[in-house]
Amino acid sequence: MASFESLGILFSIMLFGNLFLALFSKKKLHLIFNLLIFSAIIIFVLYLYINNATYSLLNLFSLNPFSEFFIFLFTLGAMLISLLYFGFSKKYNELSLFLSFSLLGMYAVSMSNSIPGIFIGLEMISIPTVFSILLSKKSLEAATKLFIMAAISIAIFSFAMAMSYGGVNTISIIESQYSLIMLIAFVLFLIGLGFEASIFPFNVLIPDVYEGSPSYVTALMGSMNKKAGFVALIQIVILMFTAFHSAFEIIAIVAVFTMFYGNIGALVQKNLKRIMAYSSISQAGYILIGVATATTYGISGSLFQIFAHMFIFIGIMAIIIVLELKNKKTIDDIVGLYKESPFLAVALSIFMLSLVGLPLTTGFVGKFLIFLSAISAGLAVLTFLGIINSIISLYYYLKILLSVYANGKRKVRILVNKTAVTVIVICLIVTILFGVYPQPFINFINSASSYLFTIAGKGL
Amino acid sequence: MFVLFVLLPLFASMIITQFFEQKFSKYIALIGAVISLALFPLITKGSFSVNLLSIGSYVVSFATNVLPLNLMLLGIVLIIAPLIILYSFGYMSVRSEQKRFYTEILAFEISMLLFSVSYSFITLFIAWEFLSLTSYLLIGFWNTREIANTAARKAITTVFLGDLCILGVIAILLSTVGSVTFSNVFSFIKTNQSIALLISVLLAIAVFTKSAQFPFSEWLPDAMEGPTPVSAFLHSSTMVKAGVFSILLLFPIFYASNLLGVIFVIALITVLLSTLNALKEKHIKKVIAYSTIQELGLMMLAFSGGAIAAGVYFFFAQSFYKVLLFFSSGVVMESTDKISLDETSGLKVNKVIYITTLFGILALAGFIPFDGFFASIGMSSSFYNNIIVYVVLNIFGIMTSLYSFRWLFLNSKKTTPYAKIKYKSISKSIELSMIISSVLILIASASFFYLIKPVLGGTYSNFTLQTLNPLDVIIETILAVSGLVIAYIAIKKSVSLKSSLLIKLVNNGIIVNTAYMYITKGVYAISEGFSYFEEGLSSLFDSFGRGVVDLGKIIRKVSVGNINNYALVLSVGMILLFLFIFVLKGV
Repeated sequence: MASFESLGILFSIMLFGNLFLALFSKKKLHLIFNLLIFSAIIIFVLYLYINNATYSLLNLFSLNPFSEFFIFLFTLGAMLISLLYFGFSKKYNELSLFLSFSLLGMYAVSMSNSIPGIFIGLEMISIPTVFSILLSKKSLEAATKLFIMAAISIAIFSFAMAMSYGGVNTISIIESQYSLIMLIAFVLFLIGLGFEASIFPFNVLIPDVYEGSPSYVTALMGSMNKKAGFVALIQIVILMFTAFHSAFEIIAIVAVFTMFYGNIGALVQKNLKRIMAYSSISQAGYILIGVATATTYGISGSLFQIFAHMFIFIGIMAIIIVLELKNKKTIDDIVGLYKESPFLAVALSIFMLSLVGLPLTTGFVGKFLIFLSAISAGLAVLTFLGIINSIISLYYYLKILLSVYANGKRKVRILVNKTAVTVIVICLIVTILFGVYPQPFINFINSASSYLFTIAGKGL
Repeated sequence: MFVLFVLLPLFASMIITQFFEQKFSKYIALIGAVISLALFPLITKGSFSVNLLSIGSYVVSFATNVLPLNLMLLGIVLIIAPLIILYSFGYMSVRSEQKRFYTEILAFEISMLLFSVSYSFITLFIAWEFLSLTSYLLIGFWNTREIANTAARKAITTVFLGDLCILGVIAILLSTVGSVTFSNVFSFIKTNQSIALLISVLLAIAVFTKSAQFPFSEWLPDAMEGPTPVSAFLHSSTMVKAGVFSILLLFPIFYASNLLGVIFVIALITVLLSTLNALKEKHIKKVIAYSTIQELGLMMLAFSGGAIAAGVYFFFAQSFYKVLLFFSSGVVMESTDKISLDETSGLKVNKVIYITTLFGILALAGFIPFDGFFASIGMSSSFYNNIIVYVVLNIFGIMTSLYSFRWLFLNSKKTTPYAKIKYKSISKSIELSMIISSVLILIASASFFYLIKPVLGGTYSNFTLQTLNPLDVIIETILAVSGLVIAYIAIKKSVSLKSSLLIKLVNNGIIVNTAYMYITKGVYAISEGFSYFEEGLSSLFDSFGRGVVDLGKIIRKVSVGNINNYALVLSVGMILLFLFIFVLKGV
């Protein structure tokens, strides 16, 4: 119990510290404070994980390997995003305040033991993000779209909440018996979270939102907000609906559509940010395959893919921010990037190759685990379709790769901002290091996913 | 373990290259390649293994093993790579692209070296993926030309299919054996043959795509769009050789699955098609490309037909004259600026080039004492007991000799004065690399008597080469000479290519008219399918967006970003999901 309180104190320090520091516009001080508090949270969570600590608070929130993993992951992500905000926005203090609110929402989602907890968390994630987008005046349209989507999905989610209360007579996330009302609840949950986790067909506005928002906020949305949606989805589906065979069939079908939508959509795009938006949709499809297997291996694969894509996405967005400052937005603009900035070119190609799934990168490990678990779970067709999708994706990723190394006309060296270099290098190191030697991370992930199944009473 | 240290100089020079000016790249690359060659004698036999990841009962381990067979391939790659780099000194004159070229060549070499010592499927997969990727970059090296891009895309699509098959094999093995190390898989296969068939079908597809066998052969001739040193490297020691070599590497699996017969037949078809193509092709490099496909088919034939020793020697010998022939065609192309055999000329102008090329051609045609002669003797004498295969092999022998001399004669026509000057001023590094490779051909011939026993010693002791038999020598020589004579009559006497009787026969013969036409059409369609896969998908999406019905308009509007339409899509999605539950599930 003591640990839970100390973590709570750390969260409060983060929040109130940010509130307080937002009053003064001292960027550097604020950044240092954020980095310190984030590292404190990471160290504390790792300490809890190593000591196998599990606590729960009022049956509403609980600390367990699963939530510890995601607190760890989201805090790491927040660190990188915070650096990006610092490097590229003048309104660091405001953005950072909103980030800390969103982060608290993510913590709530990962720790929550009950459906209202998830509800609160999701609200806390999306509303501050809308404000972060609004800070940049050009992005009013994107903010509006995001707000409306969030509102609709939250409305549907609350309807689902009502249904599930009717089904299980409790607000806790517990395993339910097969019944019609629960089936309806499942579909409503899927739709409600469909936007949060960018699942087809509830993701059609996502490319617009990603493109219209300032890139540092896009980095936040693509890497963390959507992943938080997945955390909620995985918890609800695995803990509540394991008895529902058809639920997992629906997830499998939705996964296929999501992958195809993302990959085929990306194929015809020219704008880099839109390509990345569609690509992240297709990654969501791969993650869903892991969920559809309903096994510990599958969930481990999904968690690894969430981790892998988070860092790849932040890295790519950092590159895109730098390129946007030079007014390079489409594939045609980055022709000959290697001559202009070898660092950006090499980094971009490693991220692309990782998304393709080249061995020795995290992208490969994630996809490998997901497809492996799908085959062992007997989902051969799903695996096959997933593999077809990786072939399709090959084309647009390699198209970027080729144009980066092609001969450009103008050769003006691009100077890269120091914070961007830091973020890109960290993402690169993570992508390669845990691609070559994923074992430590896999142990962490395994304990998270097997914990989920022990509660669900379905240990494998 | 030590074998991985051989890669270090290459890695080092890859990285060092990035920090120096373009003009130093070639020296750094050469130094790296030579140092790693110098380390070759220090490689000790033995295996090395480390667990990459283990999840549940699945253990994925990265393993390497050095057996005499692996040593042979390592040796070939390590020897040929510096030659390629040396040749590129004179050949790759575009200043602005030096760094990119040498970095990619070194990466290609590293991938192939990793492949040649792989001892688990994950190592194999990693090496294959990197081979595919680097070959994609190298084939599409001149990426401002659309045709190079198309060729690269076709190559990687075909090859990637094979890579995915390996991934499938890994998945199957993990869920059945629980390990991907070769030794574990082999011992599992012995007791469990049912799975061997599935695995070996997937592996065979992978091998066929990598080694450009029927029906995946078309990417290789197209890959000639890459720079000539790349073609030389690709055809002699890397990439395509990887496919054939993995049959040797994984022989127990193929052996257990009874799939060798099928591979034998496909290899025969490949050999037939590629020989005919080599006879009628006019692109200077594509003739040699088809010749490579034929040779790969012959190796495949040897391995699947039980003539392991002959196949291994062929594998070894082919590397050296193939690299030389590509060097030579590069010289011809550079000097005359032509690529069609109708127009190329002047090979005789520069004596060094001509004599070394002659070495290569004589080896390819199978003249004593060049290594090609011993290779084809080994092949045909291994099939004594099967008279049909023996005769077929000998016919192919004549045809090989025929197209090689056709290539030589057509290249040595009289040339323009301008081309003469260019021939005379060929860079010394090109001449040097060609001289070295012709010496290597002779060394390879001598090693006919010494190579096979140590290489195959432990593993395949029951497969040996027949000793050299005078009758065979005579037959082989007759075959090669008859090819020479036919080529002489067909080309020298009736100068025009079209009027020559034999070419007419080949072009209009019964086989060509019926089977061949249909088969090539089929192959063409498949390969076209690969290159248009992407366009097909894009146009699919386009037509999806344009829409025949109004639904199309709605979808397009949505992608434009109208919020009303978002609500519409959302409700349609909701309705569909509910329908799925209520209608299909019958609740």
